[in-house]
Amino acid sequence: MANVTLRSLGKSFGKTEVLKDIDLQIEDGEFVVLVGPSGCGKSTTLRIIAGLEEASTGTVEIAGRVVNNLEPKDRDIAMVFQNYAIYPHMTVRKNIGFGLRTAKKTRAEKTERIEEVARILDMTDLLARKPSQLSGGQRQRVAIGRAMVRDPAVFLFDEPLSNLDAQLRTQMRLEIKKLHQRVESTIIFVTHDQVEAMTMADRIVIMKDGVIQQVGTPSEVYHKPANTFVARFIGAPSMNMLPGTGTDAGIHLKTGLNFTGGPAVASRREVLLGVRPEDLVPDGAAAFVEGKVTVQEPLGHETLIYVDTGAGEVIAKADGRRPPEVGSQVRLSALPENVHVFDAVTGQALT
Amino acid sequence: MQVYRNLSIKQKQIVWAWAFLALPVIFYVVIRFYPTGNAVLISFQDWNLLGKRTWAGMENYLKLWSDPVFWKVFRNTFAYLIIGTPVSLVISFVIAYHLDKLRFMHGFLRMLYFLPFMTSAVAMAWVWRWFYQPVPIGLFNNFLAAVGIPQIEFLRSTTNALPAILAPAVWAGLGFQVIIFMAGLRAIPKSYYEAARIDGVPWWSVLFEITIPLLKPTIVFIVVFSSIGFLRIFDHVFNMTTGDPGGPLNSTKPLVLMIYNSAFTDFDMGYAAAQTVVLFLILLIVSLLQLRILRDR
Repeated sequence: MANVTLRSLGKSFGKTEVLKDIDLQIEDGEFVVLVGPSGCGKSTTLRIIAGLEEASTGTVEIAGRVVNNLEPKDRDIAMVFQNYAIYPHMTVRKNIGFGLRTAKKTRAEKTERIEEVARILDMTDLLARKPSQLSGGQRQRVAIGRAMVRDPAVFLFDEPLSNLDAQLRTQMRLEIKKLHQRVESTIIFVTHDQVEAMTMADRIVIMKDGVIQQVGTPSEVYHKPANTFVARFIGAPSMNMLPGTGTDAGIHLKTGLNFTGGPAVASRREVLLGVRPEDLVPDGAAAFVEGKVTVQEPLGHETLIYVDTGAGEVIAKADGRRPPEVGSQVRLSALPENVHVFDAVTGQALT
Repeated sequence: MQVYRNLSIKQKQIVWAWAFLALPVIFYVVIRFYPTGNAVLISFQDWNLLGKRTWAGMENYLKLWSDPVFWKVFRNTFAYLIIGTPVSLVISFVIAYHLDKLRFMHGFLRMLYFLPFMTSAVAMAWVWRWFYQPVPIGLFNNFLAAVGIPQIEFLRSTTNALPAILAPAVWAGLGFQVIIFMAGLRAIPKSYYEAARIDGVPWWSVLFEITIPLLKPTIVFIVVFSSIGFLRIFDHVFNMTTGDPGGPLNSTKPLVLMIYNSAFTDFDMGYAAAQTVVLFLILLIVSLLQLRILRDR
């Protein structure tokens, strides 16, 4: 049980600065997901916390003590790797037990601990097998087991689900979340998949180019994105961005229509109007999107429609049973509280 | 053409495969298998290279069995194998293990280790032969004399000659083995080591329980490859002991050198061929044993 604090953490490889001034406070028992596109520095951050990389500047604190100069083994952490890093020549039992090699425990205590972990992960009958005789999901579980067996204060997960197929990923996602509720340890989880971040995290840290863009609960980052990057990154299909200019009467969009009811925007200020596909409803009185349906994507319970507005394409969600026909003209609007306004230059949210 | 056109895709592939294989197959049959078969045949005959071949039955093999030189040579050959293979394996692994961790001058050092492998064995043997000479010529003995240690007879001693010849042979093969070991080491995922580091496993456990077990295919390859090399050792011995081929009292003579002498000094082709067959059987048995022992249980 421990909290983790990063203070103005920076990392450079030669002249390339991959992390810039990362400040992050992770509470005891919290499930935090670091998410971002590849190369955003999320894995590097995790590896610095683990002690596999050295921080160029700043400090890492685990349970209130600065660990910058401690070896990974002395940091009371465990890590699950993307390729699982389980040893192919050892049985599952030996793999799980490998982490206990240096523990001050008797042989019987170690055996008991291994079996307890195997029970929790529901793989008691797999203990005698070699990794080559296991499925992807089972291997993943062995990797988690090896991390669990040492009962660390902090679990670090480095994209552990990206080698699994879609169905298994959903299942493991749920298992890890349940596991967290059970062991109540602090978990720091790295992924590039925003769905994983949304479904598992207590709090999400969105990163880009080595800088934290926003930290917040899934609901916060979804409903109150701090900037256009977060707005586009979280949610699928991603948020529509409509360029426009502030006027006295509201926002005049490039499409030729006006949006009113949002926050006051200084006259002639260039803005981006962000609205999620599911928030766009057809034929509102105050429609600010108008255009012809060019493509339909039926998903069963709903249908995505692509609307050509004349000034860019807009995605909207429509009813799954009776979506507007391709070629038909639609008028769409959204409730003002569901519309986000961003500065066109800086990308920062104005609402 | 009609016949070809009517074949299925699979059959056409087979036709083409055989068309391309035909040349190497013919080459192997003529250059390899025919002489091999002929050697087995000659081993049952008497032949002096010019005269008639006459049938001799098992005579050559019986002669070999009762030849004290053969048994001496047999022991020498296995001495080369049993000392040479483990020594070169350990040295090349230690070099590769440390070279792999080194970044500074990595390429240059790797080149230095590989250089002896590319050098002509004859030139190398003669340079080492010079090293081993007594004062005032030999490098080693000059050095010993300079620090006041008694002279050592390297090549003219029945006990020192074999190790003295083995040393450059090991050294010559080292570069190749280092490169193979490095490739094996590179193939082990980094995360295995990182996981061990997080678990706080000491370095010797990592070495003996992760690195070496995962290098097993590489080790099998190097053991089999270098064993065959040491069982067939010839050019180092021949060039370092010319004038007295096989060293004092045959103390360094390997089987291949005995074959060479029987064939091209004594012109006893049948006897030489019988030795060749024995060498072939030894190579076969040793390789099969090694593959069996080192295979995954």
